[in-house]
Parts: sequence; structure tokens; C-alpha cells
Amino acid sequence: MKTSPRPPMRPLLAATCLFLILGACTPANYQLTPSYGDGEPDRIEAIIIDKKPVPLQNGDQHLGRNGPLTDEEMNLARIAWTYFENNYNKETGLVNAVNAYPSTTMWDTSSYLGGLVAAYELGIIEKNQLNLRLTAILNTFNKMDFFRGELPNKAYNTQTAQKVNYANQPGEIGYSALDLGRLLIWLKIIKERYPEHGNAIDSFILRWDFCRVLDRCGTMYGAVLKDNETQYVQEGRLGYEEYAAKGFQLWGFDTTRASKAEPFSYILMFDVNVPYDTRDPRELVAHNYVVCESYVLDGIELNWDLVSDRESDDLSHTDTITEAFAQRIYKVQEARFRMKGILTARTEHQLDGPPYFVYDTIYTDGYTWNTITEDGTYVPQFSAIALKGAFGLWTIWETPYTDLLFDAVSGLYDPEKGFYEGRYEVTGGLIHTFTANNNGIILETLLHKTQGKLLQFGETSSKWDHTIEDEFIGIKRCYPGHRDSCGAFSKNNRP
Amino acid sequence: MRRYVPRDALFRILLLGLIALSLMGCGVLVRGVEKGFTATTNSSLFHQGRHGELSEEEKTWAEIAWRYFENNHNPKTGLVNSVDRYPATTMWHTGDYLAAMVAARELSIITPCDFDKRLSGLVHFLNTMPLFYDRLPNKVYNTQSGSMVDYANQPDEIGWSAMDIGRLLSWLYIVKCRYPIYSEYIDKAVLRWNFCEVLDNCGTLYGGSQVHNQVSTFQEGRLGYEEYGARGFQLWGFSTTQASRIEPYEMTTLYGIEFPYDSRDVRKTNTYAPVLSMGFLLDGLEFNWDKTDQRKGWDSLHGEPDMAHIAEAIYKVQEERYMHEHIFTARTDHPVIGPPYFVYDSIFAAGYPWNVISDSGQYHKDQSLVSTQAAFAMWGLWETPYTDRLMTLLHCLNNPEKGWYEGRLENTGRHMKLITSGTNAAVLETLLYKAQGKLSTCTPPEAEIPRPYYDLNIANPFKEMGKCLPLEREKCIP
Repeated sequence: MKTSPRPPMRPLLAATCLFLILGACTPANYQLTPSYGDGEPDRIEAIIIDKKPVPLQNGDQHLGRNGPLTDEEMNLARIAWTYFENNYNKETGLVNAVNAYPSTTMWDTSSYLGGLVAAYELGIIEKNQLNLRLTAILNTFNKMDFFRGELPNKAYNTQTAQKVNYANQPGEIGYSALDLGRLLIWLKIIKERYPEHGNAIDSFILRWDFCRVLDRCGTMYGAVLKDNETQYVQEGRLGYEEYAAKGFQLWGFDTTRASKAEPFSYILMFDVNVPYDTRDPRELVAHNYVVCESYVLDGIELNWDLVSDRESDDLSHTDTITEAFAQRIYKVQEARFRMKGILTARTEHQLDGPPYFVYDTIYTDGYTWNTITEDGTYVPQFSAIALKGAFGLWTIWETPYTDLLFDAVSGLYDPEKGFYEGRYEVTGGLIHTFTANNNGIILETLLHKTQGKLLQFGETSSKWDHTIEDEFIGIKRCYPGHRDSCGAFSKNNRP
Repeated sequence: MRRYVPRDALFRILLLGLIALSLMGCGVLVRGVEKGFTATTNSSLFHQGRHGELSEEEKTWAEIAWRYFENNHNPKTGLVNSVDRYPATTMWHTGDYLAAMVAARELSIITPCDFDKRLSGLVHFLNTMPLFYDRLPNKVYNTQSGSMVDYANQPDEIGWSAMDIGRLLSWLYIVKCRYPIYSEYIDKAVLRWNFCEVLDNCGTLYGGSQVHNQVSTFQEGRLGYEEYGARGFQLWGFSTTQASRIEPYEMTTLYGIEFPYDSRDVRKTNTYAPVLSMGFLLDGLEFNWDKTDQRKGWDSLHGEPDMAHIAEAIYKVQEERYMHEHIFTARTDHPVIGPPYFVYDSIFAAGYPWNVISDSGQYHKDQSLVSTQAAFAMWGLWETPYTDRLMTLLHCLNNPEKGWYEGRLENTGRHMKLITSGTNAAVLETLLYKAQGKLSTCTPPEAEIPRPYYDLNIANPFKEMGKCLPLEREKCIP
């Protein structure tokens, strides 16, 4: 087994011992001043005093792997960014969700935004390129047609910015609350990091009609077209639901019901109680898949913190439920490797042939390690180590297992195109597909290693905040605070 | 599974010794002692569930159940319909009929001569019936003509079921054991069959079906019914090593109760492996979860403790569902009126607890029942407040002229008025179990294995060759 370079342990140990010994026998006020033997013992001290007090070393630390990228990792980041170079459409500012196919969704666009921020922060692109790209896409956002004038459609043509159907033909198909939730998270991150783009972002969000995507009790709904009739159906299952809800929360919306972990139950797998959504796939169309993606994204973007948490350091997680669930999701995958010898980093992913997309799960629809298509067909041959999943686990959990995962996937790229989607579990072969989601999330994970929680709050006041404060604006669009909440659910207070 | 002797076994023996001592020590109060003695002999010291003379009401229950077999008897063939007034049956349901017949005789609902007439008619049929490809009983027979039919009751030979044949073999054996006088004729019927394909040398059971005019076989049986079905073959001298193993299984937990389910995955085998009550319950009523050849011993001890533990868990988890969710639960596979005609009303299936699925895996939530047969068997095997309540819930579910209904719909409470041989036989079996204990007993208990004609013939190298009877078989080479 190869391991990535680590600081040599022995000197560190010796230093610690020495420090302990010294610490034990030195009086409290005694200061260790390095002597340079040049007769100026106070020089270093003076410099230290000049600087601002250095925070405790712990304060710099964050979840998982820490530190600047190695040359190797930097190289990987550049390779992931090539995807966004290749698939960029200058006119619209949009990026293809799948290599060379001119269509995208709001989820994949969010991954692009994540990749874009990472590329800038890691020094792969210049500030002016970041600004140009953001300007172009925000311009498109502010002009593009919405589904029924309500909210961004599920899919857009990346060349024309027209709303399209699944065949990339002009048309509309509905919207996805999960996609929009993730977009809200990324627009918030960008707004807080680069407030100069805040106005354009706020204008875009102020175009949205929130009345149906969220109900009074904070349940999220997606829209689907059926026989030309719009149907609004509850959207989101444990994991994705809570993650996407945080997007709406970040903009001030009440997502009480969606943010609750309930209804859920546990299934015992390798001595790990894995949480899953108990809304029944036999009766409802939606599958209750358990995968690592939403937990990983919540970890790197939001540090498993509550949305209200603007203070706590990156080593404490105020959304304790999500943190606990994420730990189980990680543990069970590591346990599978330990017990069965199968490298596991599972999430939904694309394929290079029919059925093009699978839920490659830890658990879904009654079965553990189930791999299914959208319609529920069992396709174990398509289970794979998903690269975005592996990178996500690698950055959040610094363990020998994720070292191994990293070694298994970090070389799986085409230097011209970016990272492959995954590596099949059974054959070890590659999924010959390149996607914005995969490469964007990989960039996010690398940025997380250097910076920790990607959402960093700024101080600037914004157009959005001032607009929603006005009680006369936005009633018809159900802006935050513009309609009654149904309140917390309790047995005595049924809505 | 862990194997261990129930901890209270020792305690029971000790307690018995104490009682014996105390009985010896007292000479007065004879009546009181007698009464106490009856209470003791009926207690869980010696018995698994309920034991004792039937009450008047219980006798009526048995008579109602027997009505079904009166009504649906076809004198011409000696067969009984498997569903009220529908002239078709299977070997499983012929096993039902034999069980009902034995119970009716033992509970004095019919006279030994009535029994003789009925049994002789049936055995005659078994000795003359057409066989699937001249090998084994077909899956379905028309009860009026006695000819082989398909599921639509049209003349055809469609295949055999190892589970059905297993239950029939069990009951043929039990009949012989109880009434050895009929042994010869029953042996003759069994010796007509060819066992080469229904069972391999390692003791795996196979079903057969006709596909494009060819016989194709497939492994048959899932945890519960598989072990139960294997019993019949064992009783006739076959080794059923693999079928009798509870492996392969996985464990799952509901309400803190751990129970196994068959781990042969439907996604790979195309056969569902639901956890159903009846296989374990019949195994309890008929074999007391003992070793198949076990002839002696108290019903409170079980020679196959693994099976007894699983059955206990299967019962317990249904009771717990009632305690936690306030839903009466006594589930098993059962026929339904209209499509899909049959559902697995399970405790756990295809990943879901309390799943109700058809053969093809369709979810039929609204078909779930508080099943009369499961409730009766649970009532017989466990004397608890919960089974008392189940019986209070179901004791009106009959038509005195026709027999017991299949059950009560869980979703609406309505009576599901299908009347079948399975349910009515289970009622009779349960009541006989209460009166006598374990059903597969012999008279006298020490009697030789009652199949002299069979043993003589299978040992004769010039007769019965090529049918893969026990002595002809080679050792298992897995």
C-alpha cells in the first residue's frame, strides 16, 4: 500500500517529549527565548509582539485533511479544471453537465460554480477570469426563462440558455427543489466571498416565486409536467432533503419539515446503524437511496453546521444529526472494505451507456448495497467507486482507508478532459464519462483541504436583505416572512 | 444459529422431581392432588402451548372445520377441493385433507369406519392417479375427474412441487404411524413415484415444470417451508441434508427481535424468499420442532432448537407489532379473491418488513389478513394473552355450514370469506394438537418404523430400480 507523504513521526515525537519535559519543569512565567548568540536575544520576541496575536493552532484547523495542496494535488486540481475549460460556453456563461453535450441543470451548474470558486482560490485562474465567468452566467440567470414563470426549469441548453426538455429540445419539464437548494447554497457562498457580485445574484433570486417550492410548514416540492398539467410533489429524501433545505434556509426561508431528519429508521450493516428515509418506495415513486454525496457536500460546503451558525470553529459541528449520520455513512463504507475487501465510495453517478444514470447506493428500496436505475431495476454490474465520492471521503476523513481510496482514483483522469466518472467495482474498468458534477466536486474537495468550510460569511449588507424587509414587496412570491409559518409540529398543534 | 439447550429444561426436570416427591409424600386430599396433577400434566412443564381436553366451544370449532371436508368431498375420486366448491386440488391440500381426516377421527367427529371409507377412497386414487411424465404427482388435479390439470383447471401436465409432495409424504407417514393397518396401501402409492429429480444426493429439493414440452427443474423451497417440506422425504428414508439446513440466511431485527430470512436474493434467483408463519407453525404442530425421527420426549423440549427459536421469534415479532402499533398480526401466505389470486402476506420480504407481495413481487398492501390459520396455530402453540385476543377477534369468522373463513382484512376489518382446505385443516390440526400434543406420533410410540412393505421393496435389487429410492442413492459429493 502506498501512502501519501506524511511528516516523519519520530522527530515530532521527540519534540513533543522534550516539550512536555520542559513544560513540566519550567515555571509558568519563564519564557523560552531562542538565543542566536549574536547578543540580541530579544529580537524575535519583538517581531512576535508586533504581529497580531496568533490564534491557537487548533483554530486554524478544520475537519479532515488540512494544509496546502501538494504538487500532486495541485496538478489534480488543474486537471479537473480542464473540464470547465473545454465545456464552457462563452455566450451564456453556462457549462455542459456532460462532456460536449450542450445541456445542464441547476445542480450541475452549482457544481460548476463550486469548481470555479475553487479554481480561483487555488490560483488556477486569475481574478479577472473569475469575474468574467461570473458576470456571464449571472447575466444569463437574470435573463433566462423560468418554468411557468415560477422558477428555473430543470434543464437548459448551454449554448442558447433556452429552457429545454430531457432531449435538449426547447420546452419545459418542471423544476427540482433539490437542484435549486444547491444553487442557493453556491450563490450564497459566492455572494459572501465576492460581495461585488451580490447585486446580480440577489436580482436573480428576487425573480423566483417561492410559493409552491416551499409550503407553510417548510416542506419542499418539485414540479413535474404530466400530460401538460403541472403537478407539485414532495421532493427530497433523507440526506439530500436536509442538504437542499439548508440552501433555502441560507436565504431566510423556513424549512422546518424538510430539515427534520424524520421520518427515518436505521438498518444495521456491519455493526453500523445506517439511517434511511422510511417514506415507502413501494407506494411513492421516489427511491429512498442512501449515498454519501449529500453528506459529503454538507461537510465540505457547510461543515455540518446549522445555517444560523456563523461563529463556531470548523472543528465543531452544530448540525449534530447530519454530522452523526455522515459519520455512519463513512463508517459503513470503510467497514465494507474491512469485512469484504471491496473499496467503496458510493453515490449516484453517470454511465457511459444505457441506462446512463444509476443510484449506486449503500442502501435503497429494502436492499443493502443496491444499485438501481431510475425505475428501480437492479443493475449490480454498474456499481462503481465514484470519484467525487472517493475524493469527498478523502478530504473529510483522514484515515488509511481514504488514503487507499485516493490512490485508487487519483490517477483516473484524461489530462485533456478531466476526471473519469468512476471505476467499476466488479471489473475495475473506467466509466468513460466526464461530468461537471464530478469535476466540480473534486475541485471543491481540494479547496476544502486548504480552507475548510467553503461557506465563509462576509459582512456586507445586501439588496436581498433590504428587499425582503419591505412588507409590501414579494407577498405574491412568498419571500421569507411574507406568509404565516405553520409553526413547529407537535401533537397538540396540528397544522 | 447458536445451538443450546433451553436453560429452563434443567429447571423443569428439577421441578418435576419435586412434584413427584411431594405427591408421594401425601396420602390425603386425593381429589385435590388429582386436579393438581391434571393441571401439571397440561402445563408448560410438558407441553409447548395449549394442552387439555377441548371445551364445548372448541369442539364446535372443530366440527365447523370438518364441514368443509364434508362439503367438498368428491366420492368419485376420493379427493377434496382445495377451495370451497372449486373442483381442483394439489398434493399440499391432499395433505390438508389427510390431516383433517386424522383429526376428525381422533376428536370423534367421524367414526373409524367413516375414516376407513374416506382414506381407502383417497389411497385408491393415489394408487391410480396419472403422474406427471409418469414420475411424480402433477401440481394440480381435477377433483371430479381425477385428471391432471393446469392452474386454470384445464387438462394438462404442468410439473411437480417438492413442497407439496413433502407435506403429502409427511401426512401419509403420520397416517401409517397412527393406523399401521393401512401401511401397505400407502407404501404402494409412494412406490409408484420416481424420486430421481425431486431430490439430489446432497438433499436439495427440486421442483419441476414443463417448459416447451421439456421437463425443467429448479431448486425449490425457502427458509421455513423448505425445512418443513424436507421432513416428508426424511420420513421415507431420504437424506435431505441441504434442504434441512437453515442456511443460507441473514438476520434482521424488528422491535428488537432478531429473526432470520432466507438470503437467496430474489434479484438473482427470481424467486421471492418471504418470511411466512405457516411453515414454522406446521412444523411445530406436526413435529414439535423435534428431530424428524424423534418418537419420544416431552413437547416442552425441542430436538431442533434452532427451528424452535426461529418459530418463537416469528411469533414474538407479530405479538410485538400488536403491542407497538396496535395492529393485530397473524400473517402467512394465503389465496385472495380475484387477481393476483395468491399473496405472500409476510413478516419480511424483499427488504421490507410487513410486505405483502404477489408471486411477481407486486405490492398488495390491501390484501393483508389476520389469517385464521396462522392465528389458530399460534393460539395452539403459545398460550398467551395475545393469542387469546387473536382468538376473540377471529372466533366468529366461520359459516357453520361451510367452514372457517380465510381471515380478517387488516386494512378494513372485513371478513375475507374465502373458504379453503388449508385454513380448515389448520383449525383441525390445532385442536388435535391441543388435545394430544405433537401430531406425528405413532401408536404405540415404540412401534417399528411402519413401512414394512416399502422397506422390503426398496431393499429388493430386482424391484423399484431406477427410481432413486434411498438405498439406490450414492453419497453426496458436493
